[in-house]
Amino acid sequence: MSGINAPARTLTARRPGTGLRKQEWSLLLLLAPALVYFLVYHIVPLFGMVMAFQDFRIIGKSPFVGLKHFKALFSSPSFMQVLANTLIISFMKIVLFFPLPIAFALMLNEVRGSFMRKFIQSTTYLPHFLSWVVIAGVWIAFLSPSTGGMNQLRGIFGLPAIDYMTDKGSIRWVLFASETWRSLGWDSIIYMAALASISPSLYESADLDGAGPLQKMRFITLPELTSTMVTVFILNMGFFLNAGFDQVFNMMNDSVISVVDILDTYVYRIGLLNMQYSISTAASLFKGVIGLVLILAAHKGSLKVTGKGMW
Amino acid sequence: MRKVRTTTVEIIWRSAIAIFLLGISVVVIVPLLNLLALSLSDPARVSEVRGLTIVPKGLSLINYRVLAANPLFVRSIMNSVYITFVGTALNLLVTAMAAFAMTRPRLPFKRFFQVLIVVVMIFEPGLIPEYLVVKKIGLMGSLWAVILYKSVNVYYLIIMMRYFEEIPSSFIEAAQVDGASYMKILAKIVLPLSKPALATLGLFYGVFHWNEYFRASIYLTDPNKYPLQLILRQFVVLDDTASLIGSGALFSYDEAARLSYDALQASTIIVAMLPVLVIYPLILKYYARGVMEGGVKE
Repeated sequence: MSGINAPARTLTARRPGTGLRKQEWSLLLLLAPALVYFLVYHIVPLFGMVMAFQDFRIIGKSPFVGLKHFKALFSSPSFMQVLANTLIISFMKIVLFFPLPIAFALMLNEVRGSFMRKFIQSTTYLPHFLSWVVIAGVWIAFLSPSTGGMNQLRGIFGLPAIDYMTDKGSIRWVLFASETWRSLGWDSIIYMAALASISPSLYESADLDGAGPLQKMRFITLPELTSTMVTVFILNMGFFLNAGFDQVFNMMNDSVISVVDILDTYVYRIGLLNMQYSISTAASLFKGVIGLVLILAAHKGSLKVTGKGMW
Repeated sequence: MRKVRTTTVEIIWRSAIAIFLLGISVVVIVPLLNLLALSLSDPARVSEVRGLTIVPKGLSLINYRVLAANPLFVRSIMNSVYITFVGTALNLLVTAMAAFAMTRPRLPFKRFFQVLIVVVMIFEPGLIPEYLVVKKIGLMGSLWAVILYKSVNVYYLIIMMRYFEEIPSSFIEAAQVDGASYMKILAKIVLPLSKPALATLGLFYGVFHWNEYFRASIYLTDPNKYPLQLILRQFVVLDDTASLIGSGALFSYDEAARLSYDALQASTIIVAMLPVLVIYPLILKYYARGVMEGGVKE
């Protein structure tokens, strides 16, 4: 960036006190649509979050009530359950899921034959581009107790059918499995890129030393992947409180809401369905502040470990 | 001797891995093929289609004909196409203009704008404040509320800025010496040189718009404006069969009665993912390759 900031040609440099030149105005004009968008959809709503400290009224002035809504949130058992659900689901989708794309990339890297490789890649990347509505539809059908593939498989082994979508014990694993189904291939791409950049000469000299595949994996491949792994993990931690709104929103139902309701679905329900604008925004603000701390920590962590931050 | 043994072990090892990965591919595509098979099966034989069936039982397009005869469904496809095309064109235009301005050394208040981009990236405004702003500016109930949402994705803006930074500044300076305005330089020099970046980001913005349903669900009030994904959600996820079948008046009651809702839902899912399948080869060509070469940071 610094190189770009330096004036390229002193000819058009602005003399002090002459205001903006025509050229500079035209640059601002080019930027204007994006600025208006940021203002309307990001900055103004950001100031609007002050309603978390008010009793919001559509007409007239909204009186300030301090931390009333935050106190209400933290003394409500349902909010505590929502918080716990968010942390559990995020833990499953970030921490438990974390090694899977690495293993996938390592295995894919062993596959010779470009047709086979391309087939595996193009099939497993596909679900990343499907909407969560489509994915929910696919999984509801696949897990159907009467006609679904999963229960057909269970039937083959003589096991009774399970209605996974409405079973409190299963639904979080359904979230985990469908997330894996959607992201396993796609999330492995970054590791494939890292694997491709490992110098082949390392493996050649290992071959000369008589190293087997497992030794090569342990002493060459894994150490070379470490910085990518750390970056991915840290960046994901920055989004820990998200837990995947679209997925949960489309896969939850009344039978399992108590175990899958996360912060974002709670904000939606309390805010837009129950019209409790202030308390919903208090929950958003709580999530936003913790999220901000996590993102800044992730940024710092990533800078420290790899020298590359998030921006 | 030892060399030969290693090779045999390696062949077995690699084959085992390949078979395992092919198994994962099968797990990914069988549920999709199953829905395709269900949607194409003869209604009389639909009960023979089990969860792992991937070949249609008989062949019939009746489910798709029923959908095509439903005004709400057809309307929703048109809405989705409209939102996707207008939205993507707008995204590319606004993003490219902003990225170009942001990468010019002459841009006034540049530092301020850079900070603004980071602020937009890391401060997430709540749903309710955004909803109230959209309501206040009079976009409630309008397709524009859906189109304008995510006019600029900051991550894509940064990708485009990185791309523009790679364009040799001598090209731009030469044009400036000839007296070309910034608008002209963007249109005549920068954009033509950035076709791969525009294609990649266009595909991504396009997929985003096609898949969007949530903003549509909160900002649109008239079902005639609903995009396909929202109809799909109502029909498949919320299992609201009445709203879709009820208005399909072109078919006699008998015909509607012998249709399977499961098959009709499967057909809706297939239609909703079809455009993504059509452009998927392009995505692989432009984006996946870029990532594989380490060119694009996600």
